[in-house]
Amino acid sequence: MESYWKSVLSAESSRAAYQSAVTARNQQLGAFLEFDPERGAAVSAEHCLEAVNRGQRAGDNPPDSALATVERLPFAVKDNIAVDTFSLTCGSRMLERFRSPYSATAVARLCAAGATVVGKTNMDEFGMGSATENSALAQTHNPFDRSRVAGGSSGGSAVAVAAGMVPFALGSDTGGSIRQPAAFCGVYGLKPTYGSVSRYGLVAYASSLEGIGVLASSVDLTEAVFQVMRGQDEMDHSSLATPAELVGASSVAQTGTRVGVLTGDLGLDDQVAAGYQRSIEVLQQLGYRFERVELPTLEYCVPAYYTIAAAEASANLARYNGVRYGLRPDYAENPEELVRAAREQGFGPEVKLRILLGTYVLRSGFQDQYYLRAQKIRTAIRNDLTRIFQSVDLLFMPVFPVQAFGHGAEGLSPFQQKLADRFTSTANLSGLPALALPMGLENGLPLGMQLMAPAFHEHRLFQVARVLEEELPPPVPPQYPPLWQSHTVPE
Amino acid sequence: MYQSFIGLEIHIQLLTQTKIFCGCRAAFGDEPNSNVCPVCMGYPGVLPALNQQAMHMAYLVAHALNCTLAPQTGFDRKNYFYPDLPKNYQISQFAAPLGTDGYLDVEFHRKKKRVRIHEVHLEEDAGKMIHAGDMSLLDYNRAGTPLLEIVTEPDMEIGEEAEMLLQQFRRLVRYLGVCDGNMEEGSLRCDANVSINRRGEGLGRKVEIKNMNSSRFVRKALNYEIARQQEILDRGGTVVQETRLWNENRDLTETMRVKESANDYRYFPEPDLPPFNADGAFLAAVEADLVELPAARKERFMRDYALSEPQADFLSDEKPLADYYEDAVLQGADPAAAAGWLAGDVRKMLNRYNTALTESPLSVQRFAGLLMLLAEGRIHGKIAKQTLEAIFTEDKEPELIIREKGWEQITDSARLQTYVDEVLAEQARVVEQINSGDARPLGFLVGQVMRRTSGRAEPQLVTALLKQSLGLEIVHVLSFGGAISGTRGDDGLIVPGDLRDLKDIIDQEVSTRIRFEEVQLGRFLSEEITPADWATLIDAVNTRLHTGDASGIVIAHGTDTLAYTASLLYWFFADSTVPIVLTASAVPWEPISERAQSGSEAVRNLRAAVERATSNVPGVHVVYGEQDLSPINLKFERIGAESPDLPGPFRNWNQSTPVYRGRPVVEGPLELDLAGLTERLERTIGSIYVAKIYPGMRGDALIALINAGVRYFILELFDTGTASLRETPFSLKQAFAYGAERGVRFFCTSQQEGIVDFSEYVTGHELWKEGAIPMGTLTTETVYTRLIASLIASDDESEVLRRMEEAL
Repeated sequence: MESYWKSVLSAESSRAAYQSAVTARNQQLGAFLEFDPERGAAVSAEHCLEAVNRGQRAGDNPPDSALATVERLPFAVKDNIAVDTFSLTCGSRMLERFRSPYSATAVARLCAAGATVVGKTNMDEFGMGSATENSALAQTHNPFDRSRVAGGSSGGSAVAVAAGMVPFALGSDTGGSIRQPAAFCGVYGLKPTYGSVSRYGLVAYASSLEGIGVLASSVDLTEAVFQVMRGQDEMDHSSLATPAELVGASSVAQTGTRVGVLTGDLGLDDQVAAGYQRSIEVLQQLGYRFERVELPTLEYCVPAYYTIAAAEASANLARYNGVRYGLRPDYAENPEELVRAAREQGFGPEVKLRILLGTYVLRSGFQDQYYLRAQKIRTAIRNDLTRIFQSVDLLFMPVFPVQAFGHGAEGLSPFQQKLADRFTSTANLSGLPALALPMGLENGLPLGMQLMAPAFHEHRLFQVARVLEEELPPPVPPQYPPLWQSHTVPE
Repeated sequence: MYQSFIGLEIHIQLLTQTKIFCGCRAAFGDEPNSNVCPVCMGYPGVLPALNQQAMHMAYLVAHALNCTLAPQTGFDRKNYFYPDLPKNYQISQFAAPLGTDGYLDVEFHRKKKRVRIHEVHLEEDAGKMIHAGDMSLLDYNRAGTPLLEIVTEPDMEIGEEAEMLLQQFRRLVRYLGVCDGNMEEGSLRCDANVSINRRGEGLGRKVEIKNMNSSRFVRKALNYEIARQQEILDRGGTVVQETRLWNENRDLTETMRVKESANDYRYFPEPDLPPFNADGAFLAAVEADLVELPAARKERFMRDYALSEPQADFLSDEKPLADYYEDAVLQGADPAAAAGWLAGDVRKMLNRYNTALTESPLSVQRFAGLLMLLAEGRIHGKIAKQTLEAIFTEDKEPELIIREKGWEQITDSARLQTYVDEVLAEQARVVEQINSGDARPLGFLVGQVMRRTSGRAEPQLVTALLKQSLGLEIVHVLSFGGAISGTRGDDGLIVPGDLRDLKDIIDQEVSTRIRFEEVQLGRFLSEEITPADWATLIDAVNTRLHTGDASGIVIAHGTDTLAYTASLLYWFFADSTVPIVLTASAVPWEPISERAQSGSEAVRNLRAAVERATSNVPGVHVVYGEQDLSPINLKFERIGAESPDLPGPFRNWNQSTPVYRGRPVVEGPLELDLAGLTERLERTIGSIYVAKIYPGMRGDALIALINAGVRYFILELFDTGTASLRETPFSLKQAFAYGAERGVRFFCTSQQEGIVDFSEYVTGHELWKEGAIPMGTLTTETVYTRLIASLIASDDESEVLRRMEEAL
């Protein structure tokens, strides 16, 4: 596998075969909005070196092994993360024709290490959704069952990895947007500690909640990509260096790791509930000590998350007004009308809903009731987790209450989808790292669980995930075997 | 009576190299949209990166404004849609501004006021939308320029105060080097809030005024707006809360938008920027950059270098000049001489060669060197000016110039003495003439010595050596009319005359070493003095001071106008090193009198004056019998003129110790010749009117005078400065308003011995608001002559005002 990916872009013949295979798979799955390995190869490594040196502390220099791991690998990037000369649609009509004049720091650091962007992946418009069905530009299907959704909002990236089109992809996670599609598609999905990976180049939806993360086909690769991307960046003043005492912390397996599990009715469907129990048993067999923990703030996560996210979104999306770039109506009487028409035509209904909601909760006189109350809940959640992590090393939770659901009316209503974000949004509200990991198949569909750790303790996530990986390797969608096994596309 | 409240919102663009949140150049006047990048254009995915230099400058300004500095500060998003605002939110400070509760002291017309600063906060500027015909163009070069907003409390009352505050603030930020303060280019912008209400009822309904792009427009707009609001309240109406624009072409404010409700900016904390901690090292760096501020520096200049207020003002106005000056003093230049040269000859040179001081050939070293050559007596004044000119034309060291040109003067007294001795030996007849009591040929002898040295001797030194060799002291007695030089005719009436007889009498009584140089300036009575007579006197005194042979000057004057002439001479010659003594007598010397001749008042006073003139006490004096009086605030009260028990007819008002010497209003050598001075005095005096306030005085009388060409009034008010401002025909209010529109100035004095500062009565305060200038302790006569001198000294209106308001 490794040798295939390392050489696939280097020879003309293998690249062409790769390109046609991915194009064919993409026609069925809708993972990529733009697929152009040649364009990616033109993003020069020297140009990207600047981003590496931009404030990255010595402690965050990637180990040689990580650099070696990502070198020469092709990768996909969610279309809300800037890659020089590539599209940056964010799944929106608003930016359908926009091309990025710069690269995100995370992307640049990977390119500087020798990895190559091959394309940009589909997503829910501006990251707002849990099924990639809110993309205004393409439909994305689950490779295990094309009648089902891939999850979202990083659905395209999850599918690109799950269907073997790339070994890893970048996504962004605001309330679960990496972990949920990873769980739906049976790949690893890391949402790092807030601030550990620069957000420069990530199109903002909810700035205080989101970050760039990795979707990958193996734990080693997930970790290596994270190690290459992380570290402080002068372009992002909210980025943070790894605390000195944690620099070089080992992800080698340790015995006696205490893992917390949630008690009570978690509102999971039967398959997921059974999968959660089975996963716990697997971990117990592997020697992990389990402790039952209570997370009383869990039920407030979703309202707090949506209040804050919508508030920030209402400001973050205000820049799309058709004046400097993006969709512009053919005719407008005056600047006000131009802005109104551009937003009317450019934004989809979910985006408009959240902007309106955010504007509403920020009105003066209403902030106490909504925005400030949500911030208080956020503090309470943080405190809850700090308390929990005094007695356990890791928290083990479901990612989503259900497995990949059907498209459109077959699936969950938008409201149900939002409610289902409670397990994932906890990590975003608290800024803690969380890793979704495949736990085999249930009814032919992938089942994913997540591990959460204290800030900057990603190594603990990888340590446990690596042990589990041996027991439960990521499932392969039967219709999309690895490309090195077959470049032919099954019907 | 209304009370007005003015608060300002001042924005300054900080002079950082780059913009506040990205690396683009922060510069004015570049090609539109050339200094932009994804960050300041608000492209998708970019983030702000705080410019530390902007934060440093922001804290520096807050510190200079005496604010409480926030130990931790942060940014908020201010949400509003406008095409020139790339992100459609502005990163600003709302919850935790970096500076709060500061103040700035201003002074207008002697009223000192502490204007409180509500807060200082840092934000990003927007771009510019330019409307061209049916098109709107956008230039984002300015977007993201660091902008510091300073919000004052509504502590000002009139436009003049706001103008002052703005000018002072501008000077401050230029000193700190954080802003160039250019209002036309918009690097300093000012909006104002103004409201009025009945006195004691607190703030009124607020109107915001925008589009005032000079401090002058701020004053005009605010005063217009206050008057407009007053008119509304007078008619029983209510002021609409709104935003108005100043229309500089029509000189009025116009409605821009009526505020139905406050804008909702939906502030919330900026998630992209962590809180900023002003730690010890940061604050220490700010402290280190906190240069001495202009107000403090000006005061120190006055204190340390004994400079006058206009001099200190001039020197401290711009930091480079102030630094240059201090540097020169540090390198050995005399502080007073350096100040005089910089304001005078150096400024003229800079204007002539159209260059800035710091870029001119006159380096600090050369300037200090030139003044030291002068101070050491190696060159004299005239040569110094030539040398200065040569520095500009030849760009050489002053030392080299005087060596090359042979301009170095002979300072060796012993060597000069040989020339003096030679001349005295040669001119035996002239020496004889002097010894017999006629000092006039002394100037001839000076000329002889000068010729021998080819002009390289210092004339004053030569004169001193000659006087020493001849054992002379010379007093010039100028006869300037009045009874003292007059005679009583056969019909008993006093007629003008000259001093001839008087001089003969006292001549015998004083030391033989004193020589009189008597000059007849006019035969007239004191009440008949004309501006031309004053010009003659000033010119005569000036000439005598500069020939350098006088030990003292005595002026025999009449009593009626002595208070005027004495103070006028003070404003011209207050720094004279030679005593200038005025005296008078109520009655002439009468040879037929029963009394002993030497006991007559005229003789007594003249003798006392001559003694004072040879006493070596510099300055301007008034001697009347036993009285030694100051020339300023002199009042001719005639109390006890006839009775020897009472102190005498003259008294100084508001003066515990008499002032003889100080800073003249007209500084440096007088540049006008007699004809020029006469013309100037006549013109000047023609623009002044002195009026005494009285019950029933009609305001329209003053309006008629204004229409007749009066530009300056000296109003003698009641007590500490009150007058009627009630809405009656007898009120001065209309006249003040009428005058203010035409740039007429009202200087206010007291009919009694009151100190006019408008601080006690409501009418006084209203007068201040109307623009009347309180003259403090000064009497009408003294203010009148000070105004004349100020108008002679400068054509510049603001300079005249500054001289008038300068503390004594």
